[in-house]
Amino acid sequence: MTIEPRYLFRAVQPDDLAGLLRLAQASAIGISSLPPNRDALRLKIAHSLKSMASADDASGEESYLFVLEDRARSGELIGTSGIVASAGFHDRFFSYRSEYIVQVSKALGVRNRIHTLHLCHDLTGVTLLTGFHIAPAYAKTLAPQLLSRARLMFIAQFPERFSERIASENPGPADDSGQCPFWDGVGRRFFNLDYPTAEALTSGGDKALIAELVPQSPIYVPLLDAQAQWALGQLHDVAELPFDILLDEGFDADTYVNIYDGGPTVEGRLPLLKTVSRMRVPAEAPGRWRLLCNSHRGGFRATLGEAGIEAQGLLGLKAGMRPASAGLDLDLPLAPVDAMGDLI
Amino acid sequence: MSQWSVRPVQAADIELLTRWLPPTASLTLAAPAEQWLVTEQQSDDGPSQLRACLRLRQAIGLEAPRHWYHVGSVVHASRALQMFHRQTTLLLGSDLTGSSELADIGWSREGLDDELQGQALQQLLSAALRLLAGHDDAQRVIVELPGRRDAQGLSPFWQGLGRHFYSGDPQVAAQRFGAQWRELVAGLLPRQPVHASFLPADAQAAIGQSAPEVELLKAQLQLAGLHAGEHITIDEGGPVYERVIS
Repeated sequence: MTIEPRYLFRAVQPDDLAGLLRLAQASAIGISSLPPNRDALRLKIAHSLKSMASADDASGEESYLFVLEDRARSGELIGTSGIVASAGFHDRFFSYRSEYIVQVSKALGVRNRIHTLHLCHDLTGVTLLTGFHIAPAYAKTLAPQLLSRARLMFIAQFPERFSERIASENPGPADDSGQCPFWDGVGRRFFNLDYPTAEALTSGGDKALIAELVPQSPIYVPLLDAQAQWALGQLHDVAELPFDILLDEGFDADTYVNIYDGGPTVEGRLPLLKTVSRMRVPAEAPGRWRLLCNSHRGGFRATLGEAGIEAQGLLGLKAGMRPASAGLDLDLPLAPVDAMGDLI
Repeated sequence: MSQWSVRPVQAADIELLTRWLPPTASLTLAAPAEQWLVTEQQSDDGPSQLRACLRLRQAIGLEAPRHWYHVGSVVHASRALQMFHRQTTLLLGSDLTGSSELADIGWSREGLDDELQGQALQQLLSAALRLLAGHDDAQRVIVELPGRRDAQGLSPFWQGLGRHFYSGDPQVAAQRFGAQWRELVAGLLPRQPVHASFLPADAQAAIGQSAPEVELLKAQLQLAGLHAGEHITIDEGGPVYERVIS
């Protein structure tokens, strides 16, 4: 007998509203993709259901929302994550791209490497991994691995609906009062607004509005104040865990930063990401823990465990149909896993 | 009643003139396309006195490149957000290449009241402009003024901008390389427009501000029809006065 998988990742359903609202109320500043607001969440769920059901010739405005259940606690929602099919679909997607200029003067005996930030639209149209949120009690379990990586399995199952280029924004440093050193050193010089106000002004709506008001010419990083320079490419505390998973997938974190908080925006090619490059359909023989998923779009389910009869049932696969799987060869200290799938 | 005359500098004048000029000015009389002029005051009851000098340079920047920041603006406006911001930008370039320049303007201050110093400069400037007016084509003439410095003798403009791109002491480098110093440092400075908003407040305030010791010269430049244009010097952010002569 194999162990019954504990965590279930699945496409959001209409009756998940209460569970999501409870999760959202524990969310941090700067993570506006999960608003603690019933109507906003209802809209997000509706948008995801519509996207899942949309015809195969996807338009690009789809966004998909997923939830994570703990089967050991009667299917309680313990996390959520999402996918936006095409970044900046209605307008443009703004980022700063890091570049380096080397200035040399032999006569003065100087060779300077100057870091510059270029406002760009490079990532417009790429697929975004969004809205990663895990209940803090589960941060040290394998649940976040499933919550993040199963999105890539979904994309790989339906590649015609997504870009081959995948990106994900990671919130930069900000304290509980909303002080954000990168914003204070850059954006605030052009708007007399603090970060939470600027966030509120643009959340859900048009971030391009603010992007149009910041300098269009490159920013010379040495001219920024020390705090803003320090914050560049750094993470908000809540972003450490999802960021580590993305790095392990093989995303590049050195090229783009968020134009508001300076957090790193990672970017990679779908086929080169670890989960995708290791996917096998059908699953390899049982015996090892793997990411497992079905191939139903609206009824997408994924879990973590052995590819046995229990997983097959959980994924809603008929007898004889084997799931797709991806080996989970974590570079994390994958210590022994107890019967419930927790790291010991 | 004093009489003024303006004449080319002679070798015998040099020792006196160097006292009026910063140590970085090099008084070489043989350079082509430039002339040193000096004003002399004749009085009825004594020997004539040298009062002021300048170096008139024509067609600058054609052999060794010259650089200035152009001070411009961009407007960031959003009707939706009800915001309107005018931003000052600095763009490195060689816009004034080909102009004529009145450089190294020095004058005697000891024992002379402002009126007499002003008269000496007025005589000198109008003689230089008359020399330039003899040409067929309209041309621009410029005068660079030193920028503002703080109590420690540091330029807040340099501290806020240039220092991040050349960490050496600009005065040491200027003494070592002479006039070529600015050409060398320009190779290290930002080539893309810099929004002044990124500079510290004192550096922003120093843009286009001249040192207090040239107030008298500034007044005479204005009387001679020059005005502060849209350019500043790349090291201290001092104003560049200009005028078109036809």
